[in-house]
Amino acid sequence: MLTIENLTKTYRRGVRANDGIGFDVGEGQVIGLLGHNGAGKTTLLSQVVGLVRPTSGRITLLGRDPVAEAAWARTVCSFQPQAQAPLTGVTARQAIEIVGRLRGGGRKQVRGRTKELLAALDIEEWADSPAERLSGGVRRLTAFCMAVVVPGRLVMLDEPTNDVDPVRRRLLWEQVRALSATGHAVVLVTHNIAEAERTIDHVVVLDHGRVVATGTPAALAAGREMHLSLSTPADPALPGWAHTPRREGDRLTVTLAAADAAAAVTWAGQHTDRYSLNPASLEDVYVGLTEGNHDAVLVP
Amino acid sequence: MRSWFRSYLLLVRWTALRMRFLLPLFLIIQTFLAVGIVIGFAYLMPEVDPATALYLSTGAPTLGLITIGMVMAPQLVAEAKSEGTFAYNRTLPVPRTAVLAADLTTWLVTGLPGLVLGLVTAVFRFDLHLHVSWLVVPAMLLVALTSTTVGFALAYALPPAITNLVSQALIFISLMFSPINFPADRLPGWLQAIHHFLPFEHMANAVRDTLTSPAGGAPALSFAVLGVWCVAGLAITLRVMTRRD
Repeated sequence: MLTIENLTKTYRRGVRANDGIGFDVGEGQVIGLLGHNGAGKTTLLSQVVGLVRPTSGRITLLGRDPVAEAAWARTVCSFQPQAQAPLTGVTARQAIEIVGRLRGGGRKQVRGRTKELLAALDIEEWADSPAERLSGGVRRLTAFCMAVVVPGRLVMLDEPTNDVDPVRRRLLWEQVRALSATGHAVVLVTHNIAEAERTIDHVVVLDHGRVVATGTPAALAAGREMHLSLSTPADPALPGWAHTPRREGDRLTVTLAAADAAAAVTWAGQHTDRYSLNPASLEDVYVGLTEGNHDAVLVP
Repeated sequence: MRSWFRSYLLLVRWTALRMRFLLPLFLIIQTFLAVGIVIGFAYLMPEVDPATALYLSTGAPTLGLITIGMVMAPQLVAEAKSEGTFAYNRTLPVPRTAVLAADLTTWLVTGLPGLVLGLVTAVFRFDLHLHVSWLVVPAMLLVALTSTTVGFALAYALPPAITNLVSQALIFISLMFSPINFPADRLPGWLQAIHHFLPFEHMANAVRDTLTSPAGGAPALSFAVLGVWCVAGLAITLRVMTRRD
């Protein structure tokens, strides 16, 4: 559905925000775009939706060129920007319904879908209050509803869970899965890696404008499926199976392959009796990848 | 075309909803301004002759339209830019021209009640007898449209802080140094020359001459100059709205 090839964007002041980026998004797929602040994620999305013009490279959306046909791109692509949506003077329900109508939805269809979304995200109690008085989290959820009330074939969400409480974040992830189940492709920028892990089909990790890793969460974690944490003030010599060592105070953590779990338990037991071995999260993998220890799934 | 019109109507609704709390405030400010000029300015002069009264009464609605278009509108656009409304609207699947047309419509309607109130005040205060031409409607529309498009162009092209400063300066220039409330020949020659090219004097002429229908007929030159400013304002605004980084 969406193909990005060798995409580079250099801003006028010389900042290279995207540097030869490439990946594909298929129908019904949820892509997680991970990366530090300033890694180039927002620039990438802005180019797909026609707000920023690429310096070089190619974007293909549903077989057409969204750079040349920006107005068309905005009709097939729903976008929740990172900045808070403008809600001055309107209620959440009004904002969602008007955007739904602007996206081409019929009056009845939009009204029904708005009601459904407000209920699904459990924000009905604020639906008819002036939106400028709402908390940041409810405003963010409102912006999410505005993006998906009449979703385009491609839905792009830039940090949709910022300021949102843990319970409603879970409800939002369910809605993202529901979109993918109905054939919509979703590109998701998030820092809530641990939570998004269950939602994402495919991960693209950006660092300084370049793709440093790509694959399913499981593939990215290959060779580092486990996460060993031990409390020891000393710095023991690390065996060969231990990757991405990190220290926070007394706590030392490393990642390792599942096959080395038994060896890891023996080794940890020799140094301390306070240790734990858990499946690694996508977050552990991500931190490892963006810290310069790119010893796993590197993209050439 | 149908989808353009549909987008336009929905955007008008959205803008109107957003601005409905501000509308009474604009009305008050515009009325104060009109009353201030008609009644307050008369205090500055020991005696108000019929010619002065005419300038003050027709200058007041002109200044009201300038205030709405070149001060209020750009300040709200500047605010919308800082708030992210402008950036958000750019992501919506609606034609840019529909966004602009909807904003213009809302501002034109906003200026209307104050315009009428200002005129009514003047007529009562000076016991004026106006010979209103049918051209007054297109004239007022053109003045309102020109001041709003020029205001938009400033607000879209300049950073928000600068926009606020410029719009404040514009109100002083139009109030004190433009031949709106007084005849142009009271200004020094060089300033008169500049005003041939600026829109302010032409706005005043268009409003005054269509309200009083003088022997010379409608001020065609003023209409033409305002038309040029209006098109330039529209072009700059659309250029900024459709620009990509």
